[in-house]
Amino acid sequence: MYFHSLIMDGSDVGANTYLIRPNYQHKFRVGVVEKCIREVQREMLSGVEYIPEEVPSLSLSLADSIKNRLKELGFNRYKLVVQVVIGEQRGEGLKMAARCFWDADTDSYAKDIYTNDSLFCVAAAFGIYYY
Amino acid sequence: MDDFQIGEDTAFVVDEVSTIVKEAVEGAIGGNAYQHNRVNQWTNNVVEQCLTQLSKLGKPFKYIVTCIIMQKNGAGLQTACSCFWDNTTDGSCTVRWENKSMYCIVSVFGLAI
Repeated sequence: MYFHSLIMDGSDVGANTYLIRPNYQHKFRVGVVEKCIREVQREMLSGVEYIPEEVPSLSLSLADSIKNRLKELGFNRYKLVVQVVIGEQRGEGLKMAARCFWDADTDSYAKDIYTNDSLFCVAAAFGIYYY
Repeated sequence: MDDFQIGEDTAFVVDEVSTIVKEAVEGAIGGNAYQHNRVNQWTNNVVEQCLTQLSKLGKPFKYIVTCIIMQKNGAGLQTACSCFWDNTTDGSCTVRWENKSMYCIVSVFGLAI
């Protein structure tokens, strides 16, 4: 039998481990990710007003910060997709839905919603296991 | 063990996906005006339609489909996404659709197995 060992640094993420399920330490933990998203949102959006010219770069930097924090948490075998929606608070109705075609044992998502007087922000992070 | 060749059949084709999404949105909410009590059902229909059509393509991909329906009220909305994946095999596609009373934004992310 010939095994490749799982080396825990970024350079070997593409190496074959033939593991079809992550061990529980490396599993995408929803609670941890949700907390991380909430912290980033609080840091970057407290007291911020909805200004149309600034929002595009704000939402992009929020998505990048969340993605970088999640990478630091050590989900080595996971591909990450972070989607951020920022909208102005004007009493309008809005509904966001998501559905995924994936492996329910290994893949998962976490989301959080942040609101203040002038804007609301929905952030969703999806983790997909790379076999 | 055979590896999949990265060819036409196994790449994320943005045009194909965007056609599928447009048809799904037209079919589900085509001629309707924004109604708060029906939005739940509409978002579900759009997303399910997209996903069934995408899985019928038979490609070795995992899909994430998100749909946002917003009432036209003069308010602003911005979506952004940041992804940590393999650029050669994975891709995404976002489609914006509107009618007189609402906006619909659908994002599809395809990640190769």
